[in-house]
Formats: sequence, structure tokens, C-alpha cells
Amino acid sequence: MRALVIVGHGSHLNGDSSLPVYEHAARIRETGEFDEVVECFWKEEPAMRHVLDTVESEDVCVVPAFISEGYFTQQVIPRELGLEGSVTKKSGKAIRYAGPLGTFGQMEDVILERMEDLMRGKEKRPGRTALVLLGHGTDLNKSSGGVIYLNAGRIRERGLFDLVEEAFLDQDPEVGEVVAGVEAENVILLPVFIAEGWHTRETIPEDLGLTGEVTEREDRTIFYGAPVGTHPSMADLIAARARDSYEMSGTATHGDEVVRSAL
Amino acid sequence: MSEVPCSVSGSDSAVSENAATSRDAFANWVDEASEGRVFAQVIVRKLEPEGGYEVRHAEDADAEGLELHDGSRAAREVSRLTEAGEHRPLKSAPNLRRGWILRVADARELAVAMNYLYPAAIVHWYMEREGKLEVTSYRENAARQSGIYKRVQRLSDEGVQNAARACCEDSVCLKRVRWDVDGETPLVMDRGGGKIPCPEPCSLFVSFARRVRLFEREERERDASGLTSSEREDLAALVEAAAGGEIMFAREAEFEEPLNERRLRYRGLTLVPKLRLEE
Repeated sequence: MRALVIVGHGSHLNGDSSLPVYEHAARIRETGEFDEVVECFWKEEPAMRHVLDTVESEDVCVVPAFISEGYFTQQVIPRELGLEGSVTKKSGKAIRYAGPLGTFGQMEDVILERMEDLMRGKEKRPGRTALVLLGHGTDLNKSSGGVIYLNAGRIRERGLFDLVEEAFLDQDPEVGEVVAGVEAENVILLPVFIAEGWHTRETIPEDLGLTGEVTEREDRTIFYGAPVGTHPSMADLIAARARDSYEMSGTATHGDEVVRSAL
Repeated sequence: MSEVPCSVSGSDSAVSENAATSRDAFANWVDEASEGRVFAQVIVRKLEPEGGYEVRHAEDADAEGLELHDGSRAAREVSRLTEAGEHRPLKSAPNLRRGWILRVADARELAVAMNYLYPAAIVHWYMEREGKLEVTSYRENAARQSGIYKRVQRLSDEGVQNAARACCEDSVCLKRVRWDVDGETPLVMDRGGGKIPCPEPCSLFVSFARRVRLFEREERERDASGLTSSEREDLAALVEAAAGGEIMFAREAEFEEPLNERRLRYRGLTLVPKLRLEE
């Protein structure tokens, strides 16, 4: 039997954080590709620490529902699940550990689908259009921003927008400056976050003075989308990430190599 | 499907079978009791003659007109929010909402439903019965914490004891505490009488332990009356709320808020004796 274990951050305080993990798990369950699809979390139950006790399959793939490589994917998840690299043999199971979602090749397609959903039926101003990918970012971990640069680069290559920019909450270039300064009459701002939460619902709209999906300023219109991670297509990406970990067991995946070399 | 090379040792193999074996053991345990089995806040009954199982809130055991759900996945929706609509980060907290019935087809579906209502509870119940449950002490758990939780390593033994009394007794969590401070230092508390064993401090407890460690650090800076600044803050918030006629508790895991239930329970253990000059 084959199991997919999706690891989310979860939250002690609100249900927004775990919701996309449950929804993506339900979508993948319906495809029948895995005999078991199980959710687990850092801050909710089932805890990572105990989830493998509940899994019957001997062949398990763990996919972190995290955008970037970083503290959680490199330290917390392997430690709590007792993983030792890309394949761990323990408790009679072979446990594969896939990389995070943001570096995977299909990520830019999910971002573009989220963009299309946001822009459907909305009127743009005459002039240029910029896509701004927003990451959390941190000065402590460069991989966190690397995934934004990676996806912006891939989308830029497709030539769909006049400009594709990167922006962050906790590192430069700062989102407020990018949104105000980018030379475009239409600014499409997409948070590359895994779930709705304090930042996407409160701090970002408040700091930027956004009034909803569409905010008119004197010189530009700002279109603000829901987090990329809640898009239904993320379920396909999670399943593809798991599939990929079978095919590329023991080696870094293509996306990881690209993001590491980009740093 | 690709073939996975996998060497399995004898003892490891036994561990891997726990999920399936516990599922059947739980169903058999339910089957043996015609009136059903109470497990934490739910009652589970075998349905006869149609087959399958029914799960409902134990306090709704004889209630009629309940909201009927078919299939195990609805259990997630049932377990997600309290009666008042609040997020439930700890599924073993005694705040499962009432008013529903789940019907599931077989032992496998029953296990899925139970894992949403009480994650990992069936397998731990089974492993404990078989003498196979691995228990992790507070100190072992704290030793692997990192980031903002690393400071829980410095929590005193007394701090662990009071944190566990405030955070883990049956009035706030229905799991039965199996872990201790460490190998030599047992927890001295009412560990609870429920069927679900708690083999290790959970993430909610670690978060609370961090808060208690921050309280401990304040002890060095007591004022003339012997109170710390957060003790004064909590007392003021409590008196203010009570004087207004209504104490609105903070969310279950909002330990930074003075009117959090576990935080007040901790104050009951540590501040009340101080105020009554019992120290």
C-alpha cells in the first residue's frame, strides 16, 4: 500500500492555516492514486510526531505543504517525523521525503491560474501590467526569497506581462515600495503563501491600503489575489511532488537545484 | 506503481502493523458492548442488523433529531469548531460540539472518523493495551525543541509540574497523561481517567511551557508587594472583566492573553497561594 502524508504548519489560534491541507488532501483522495492520504501538522493534530503510527501503508511519501525550503522543511519536519534524508526506512516503512512545493516545476502554472481567477471579468486600465509575486522573506534564510525569484524568472520568460517583480514582507524589495513604484498602470499582486492568515487578511491589506480585490489609486489599479497555496490546482502539484520523489529518489529534484544555484 | 525496496526487521514489522491491528481491535471492543462504548466525549455503537457503526456525542446518546452525516470524512467538520464556533487546535479538549450523528460502513471507516475526532487516539489506546506505547518525557521532548521553543529547556521542574496541572487535567484535556518530567521525576497531578493515553507533551503544551518559562524569568523582578508585572496585568484584567459583569475568555491557546483559561489555571496554582500569604 502507498500513502501520501501532507504536512502543514497548522495554527493554535485559527483554522485558516490547516484548511488548504485538508482540502488538497480531499481532492487527492478522490483521484485514488494513493491508498491513504493523511494530513498532519506542527501546531494542530494529528501531530507529525504521531502521524506515522496511524498510517497502514509500508510505502509512504511525505510532502510538506510549505512554499520554501527553510527552517520547517529542513529542521522541524525531519526531526518530528524521524526522517534521515530523502528515503528513511523505519517501523517497517519506506518513507520518502519530497521537497517543498514552491520550487517544483508546476508552481508557476498554479500562480498563473490564480492570476487568471483574480482577473476574470475585471477591467484593466490602458497601459502596462505588472505581476508582483509577494513572499514572506526573511533575512535569516535566503531560500525563503529564492523561491519567489525562481518563479518570477520562469514567468518572466513566458513574456505574458510587461513586468514581473518580486516583493517581500520581511526583506527588500519591500512590498509597499514595489507596488507604489513599479512602472505599470495595472499591478497584480499575488501572495505566494500556502494559506490565508494574519498577513494575507490583515497586515498586507492594511499596510498597502487595499480595499479588496481591486484598489484604485490615482496612477494605478492594484489587483490583490488570494494566496496561491489555496488554489485547487495545488492538489495536483502536491501529488506531482510525491510522484517525482519516487522517480528521483535520493537525488535533489530539478527545481531544488535551480533554486540553490540561483542563490 | 513502483516497487519499493524495503528491509523490514522483525520488531519494526510489528510497529508497522499497529494502524491496521488497532482499527480491528477498536471495532471488536465496540462490538463486544451492545450498549456501545464511550470514548472521550463520543459514544460508538455497532449498528444491527444493518451493519456498520454510529458515532455521536456521548451526551446525545439518547437524543433525537440530530444532524445525520454519512461517511467518515464528515467527522472532520464535526471536530473543527466548538459549539461557539471557535477553532479547536486540541481535539482532546472537552469542547466537542453536540447535535450530530455519524454513520460509517465498517471498521476501516470507523477508524478514519475516530482519527478526525481524536487523532492517533485509537492506535495509542491499542498500543497502550498491548504494552507497546512509547512514552517521551518532558525533558526528552524539550531537548529537541528549537527556535522560539528552545527556551522550554530551561523551565524548572516545578514549572513543568504546574504547567501540566494547568494545561492537561481532565477539565481542559481528556487525554490521560502518561509522561513525566523525566525518568526520575514523576508528574504529581491528577492524570485523568480517560481512555486515550497521552504519550508525550503536545505542541499546545510546549507553547504553554514557553509562556510559563517567561513567567519564571519575571520572578527576579517582583515589585514591593511581591508580584511580577504579568501577575499584576492578569489580576487587573480579571478584576476589570468581573467588575464589568462578564469574563470573556481568550481563545484556547492564546496564552499571551491574561484571560486565557490555562493561564488563569496556572495563576490559580501559583498566584493565589502568594496572595493568601501561603508561601
